[in-house]
Amino acid sequence: MTLDFINTYLMLILLSSLLVNVVLTIYGIFFKPHYTKKVIALTILSDTLNTFTVYIGYRRWVNELNPRPPILTVPPTTESIIEFAERAVDPLPQALVLTAVVIGLAVTLFLVFLGYILYAHYKTLDMREIRKLKG
Amino acid sequence: MKYMISETIVYLIMAVIGVLSTIAVYMAIQERDLVKAVIYSAVQSSFYALLYYFLMAPDIVLVYLPVAVGLIPGVLLILISKTERWEKE
Repeated sequence: MTLDFINTYLMLILLSSLLVNVVLTIYGIFFKPHYTKKVIALTILSDTLNTFTVYIGYRRWVNELNPRPPILTVPPTTESIIEFAERAVDPLPQALVLTAVVIGLAVTLFLVFLGYILYAHYKTLDMREIRKLKG
Repeated sequence: MKYMISETIVYLIMAVIGVLSTIAVYMAIQERDLVKAVIYSAVQSSFYALLYYFLMAPDIVLVYLPVAVGLIPGVLLILISKTERWEKE
């Protein structure tokens, strides 16, 4: 009973720290003036949302047995498949996050290229100075 | 009872990793030197990779570790070396 309360409390600490990460990165995207800092904050934000997605598929310990990665390592008999379905975590959010990580890499590369072009045009990456300039 | 204790230990490690990643994110956001900010972001990515391992997703660790600790900081460091390093007040 008490141990169960401590487990829920620890998971609450994890989730609230991830939520603080989301708030900090949104602050960084909107209120930090430098372009590179905005790109860094955007990558951290996408990673945090990916972590939330993986957490959806996670499962707490069932009957004092630890959850397993969704990989079937023994020949598929009926007993092994039942045991697998009782203990393995959900593989679908992991597949989605795998796609999102690669797409995030592509978006970051595009933004870095855009920043390089921006610096070649304006000779600065500070957004407050770029807003004052024209052409 | 032994297994219950080990469950709590795993959750404790996950909570500590979450708090440490929050500290790394705060350091990366408030840092004026962009090279240090990129390094703090890489530290935060390693904490997230550990977190994915404890959330039973080893396939994501295999993809996320080279992408978020190797490729993205490398590309951002190339961008910083081509442009400017310090964020002004």
